[in-house]
Amino acid sequence: MTGPGRSNNRRTEEQATPRMLVFACKWCGLIGADGAGKKRIPLPASFRVIPVECASLVEPDAVIRALASGISGVAVLGCHLGGCRFNHANHAAMKRLELLKTLLDAVGIGGKRLLLAFGTAHEDHQYAEVINAFFEELKALPSTAPWMY
Amino acid sequence: MKNSLPVLIIGGGVAGISAALDIADAGRAVFLVENSPNLGGQVAKLDKLYPTDHCAFCPLWTDIKRLKEHHLITVHTSTEVKELRSIEGRLHAMIVKNPPAIDASRCVFCGKCERECSQKAIRPAGEHVYPPVCRVDLDVCNHCAACVTICPTAAINFQRAVETIELNIDHVVWASGFKEVDLTPLKEFGFGTHPDIMTSLEFEEWTAEAEINKGDIITKLNRSVPRNIAFIQCAGARDERMLPYCSAVCCMHAFKQAKWIKRRNPAIHCVIFYTDLRTVGRDYYEYSREEIGGSPIRLIRGRPSLIYPLPGGDGIAVKFENTETQKRDIWKFDMVVLNGNLRSSLEWTDQEKLDSPALTEEGFVNPKSDGMSRFSCGFSMEPSDVAESAVQAASVAAGVLIAKREG
Amino acid sequence: MSKVAVLLCRCFGEVDGVIDLDALRKKTEEDVSVAFSCVVDSLCLEVDIEKPLSLIRESGAEKVVIGSCSSLGKGDAVVETLVREGIHRSRIGLVDLREGCAWIHRDDPQGATDKALNLIRMEMGALSYRHGSDDVTIRVCPEAMIVGAGPAGLSAACALSRLGFKVHLLERGSGPGGMLNLISHVYPSDEKSGDKIKKYSEIVEKNPLVSFYSKVKILSVKGFAGDFKVHISSSEGEKKLRVGAVILASGARVWLPYGLYRYGKLKHVITQMEMERQFLREPVPIKKAVFIQCVGARNKDRPYCATICCPSSLKNAARIKDENPDARVFILHRDIMTPGSVLEAYYRKALAKGVQFIRFEETNPPEILGDEHVEGVEVFDVINGRKRMLDCDLVVLSTPLVPNDDNAKLADMLGVERDRYGFFSEIYPLHPLETRMDGVFICGSARWPVSSDQAIMQGEGAAVKAAALLGKDAVSALSLSRVPGEKFGHASVNAEACTGCGNCAAVCPFEACRLQKMGGRSVSRVNKMRCKACGNCVSVCPNGAIQLPEHDYRAVGAMIKKAFAEETIS
Repeated sequence: MTGPGRSNNRRTEEQATPRMLVFACKWCGLIGADGAGKKRIPLPASFRVIPVECASLVEPDAVIRALASGISGVAVLGCHLGGCRFNHANHAAMKRLELLKTLLDAVGIGGKRLLLAFGTAHEDHQYAEVINAFFEELKALPSTAPWMY
Repeated sequence: MKNSLPVLIIGGGVAGISAALDIADAGRAVFLVENSPNLGGQVAKLDKLYPTDHCAFCPLWTDIKRLKEHHLITVHTSTEVKELRSIEGRLHAMIVKNPPAIDASRCVFCGKCERECSQKAIRPAGEHVYPPVCRVDLDVCNHCAACVTICPTAAINFQRAVETIELNIDHVVWASGFKEVDLTPLKEFGFGTHPDIMTSLEFEEWTAEAEINKGDIITKLNRSVPRNIAFIQCAGARDERMLPYCSAVCCMHAFKQAKWIKRRNPAIHCVIFYTDLRTVGRDYYEYSREEIGGSPIRLIRGRPSLIYPLPGGDGIAVKFENTETQKRDIWKFDMVVLNGNLRSSLEWTDQEKLDSPALTEEGFVNPKSDGMSRFSCGFSMEPSDVAESAVQAASVAAGVLIAKREG
Repeated sequence: MSKVAVLLCRCFGEVDGVIDLDALRKKTEEDVSVAFSCVVDSLCLEVDIEKPLSLIRESGAEKVVIGSCSSLGKGDAVVETLVREGIHRSRIGLVDLREGCAWIHRDDPQGATDKALNLIRMEMGALSYRHGSDDVTIRVCPEAMIVGAGPAGLSAACALSRLGFKVHLLERGSGPGGMLNLISHVYPSDEKSGDKIKKYSEIVEKNPLVSFYSKVKILSVKGFAGDFKVHISSSEGEKKLRVGAVILASGARVWLPYGLYRYGKLKHVITQMEMERQFLREPVPIKKAVFIQCVGARNKDRPYCATICCPSSLKNAARIKDENPDARVFILHRDIMTPGSVLEAYYRKALAKGVQFIRFEETNPPEILGDEHVEGVEVFDVINGRKRMLDCDLVVLSTPLVPNDDNAKLADMLGVERDRYGFFSEIYPLHPLETRMDGVFICGSARWPVSSDQAIMQGEGAAVKAAALLGKDAVSALSLSRVPGEKFGHASVNAEACTGCGNCAAVCPFEACRLQKMGGRSVSRVNKMRCKACGNCVSVCPNGAIQLPEHDYRAVGAMIKKAFAEETIS
């Protein structure tokens, strides 16, 4: 039903509002998201947030599933390096996910589809900046529709 | 039974919160009073902490939440201790609560009151106040009560009675922290002569990520990007005219602020004018040596003799002698941050009312004096930083628990 | 099939002003797994949550999905209300429709409504695979073990015993006192060091709750908070101890400056400790002394300030002046580290006694002159801008405290981390006496160089932290949380699927995973008392054998599937 040769309409539609999945750690990540909410900073509606206890709970497996299901990009928001309340668990997470980025590049999916923001989105305006900037990046990338079959 | 009386902790900052949790975790009841509407004290208002360089809110928030949910701790904010007396060997306290118009337990932070207010007198309590709540600025309020009508949970009431609570307690812990001393009398610092000559706490708020400038470093005068910023250490401190002691936290505080400036805008030159660079504490020395932004923080040993605004809004002059080269000079800065003017918030008042403990000459609680002054921690005991205050709080908790047990 | 109750909160118009809650209600009610779906004004006020609660009871719904404000608003409080009603936490799903949806998508109501429906479906999907973790409760052994009987250890032992707990005080030397046995007087009180610790050593001796062991070697430590099993050898032979908490107060040692300032090569160039030993023996009239600070400290080898050297020099320099007012005493320094009120006053006191201070630079250190014994010190006085030749017959070198050689072994045994210098690390500055291992506390110079006063305070502090644990009859693993309230859960291993690769054991920041032999193969086992549910193990497991029941991979998979599932909403 889907596959190469689909109509160009889907491609434009998707690029206009790329779909983003955000894994936000319940501490720094969600505090930033909450702050943006309280300030009522307008953001595009095509992203979904999954709160996690710690960024280290985000399995590379889950990132790949998300991308394979047609989601354009995945963002992982964690605490500052050195500020994780689970004793530097986020360090391991960052290393792992950085490696995943390299892998995504190597297989042609593109490491740019995985955004890692450790400690840079804990304030409201920073969260909004990170989400908006990621949306812009994803708009510039080709559609993921051909992968869904 | 005497042992079952609560402990009164005066002050809801780092020291007070830590002491309260330590005493309550060991099974004893605690009454914690804080005179401002928020918990967390001065540290919660800081943008970043040293040496972690992380925001001040997160680590405190966990403890504040635990404090509020603890079944043995009763917290009263917007509350002052009016009287503390020893009657027939028992300690008796009278605390006075001035509840704010908006009840935090009923406020759902919908923001209707803020939108309804014609005077713009209502605002959120603060970036990192938890749970989020709105506050009315009574100075601006015109008492139209439109907010009272619009509030869907009837959380606003301007007629809240001042509550007076009388307590029988068996111990008092002083943890009332520090406040700034006005530097205007020390004319050489030029405090008040230029909007960009400010104290380090003012600078912290002006450059905080969560505040109005969102972390941008700009001048107050014309909101331009400064080329250079001077940090003046020991302003008011180690000074016989004002505070003879060392405020302990300012050297590290200056490094923290200077490093954050370099992180956000590496082009800004930072100079710290110091007497002794006190970096005593875990990882502090290495923290002070870390270079950020490609150029080091310039360190000049010397206390400036005069700081004054230059005519035509052309910056601020700092006249100094570099005591390591014996050269005198006048340098121009766009911003000057004064560090050092911190003192314990407790003041010596009328002994009759006994609402403040015996203080040493330098204004700290004198633990060698009577029973009411026995327990203190944090800046009210001795200039201390976060880690030291937490240790002192735990040690005071031990003292209180032992005193309770041994009667 | 367990049914779900869906509660949608309007928040007085803040949510339904943007999101079409009525349409959401209709859509969710169509779902066969939903018991009922209702829209309410609020969920956080008692009066408003009564009706939904009674509906839940009537309908027999076992799970609840709440669409309301965020967990940081009143969401958490609403969840707690439901938990108190008897609904297990793992059966409640909180969906942020306010801060995370309505408030940020005010200009796109259709998008916000679609998103809200997706979020609710995601949570419902997750709930079908979410379980609560098992808990385990252990009896707490109300005894403590203190490693080291210096001022920190003595003060901790004293405090704990006065609080009614049995204490095993272990000392590797032959008696208590630690470094205080080697010095004459302490600062800033200037009292005899023996007097300082007398109060503590007396209590320790007389209190039957304190057992003192000398010449101790710790052979092994196993266990966790509330139940540590320790094997030691002491002057009385081998012994097995069972304790609930461990306090590390093993102190530090003085660094000897061989290679600097001709130490060891020239007579009368001594360390501060040797100066103390001299004072302990008998007063020796010293006519001309020079103290040099930061010897082997605040340099690239040991880039830290060791806290005690400046006040110690002030103490000893002042004493030389007291014993011989005509003595010429110089302190050569690179900053005088006396922060605070008490120490700054101590500095002023030394100044008033006539001790002289000369500042030098790290790049231009003083030179020691003399052939068989020291005759003078040449120093470039930075403040005066000239070289000075100081006659002297004694040079005292202030060297830093460095970690003990056995810190690495102790850290390994107890599962505690060390910093880059080798001192034991705490979890973060707001909790300076607690380590990543629950039940293990650090104090005194084992943690970081401190004065005897600070060591005593830290010992009392560590005692209080230990007392909180020891005072409980039993402790449940879920209560040992690093976050407010209970832990998120515990990692759980599917033993059949586990391949014994050891990734989880390697990555766990709390050393909670261990490989164990099970019928001929290796299988990972999670120590629930240590696990903090950070999820690192889950992410590195090659086949998903280890999972967090509250955040199972199938729950995540369901959430991903439903995240952007299209449903038409009329």
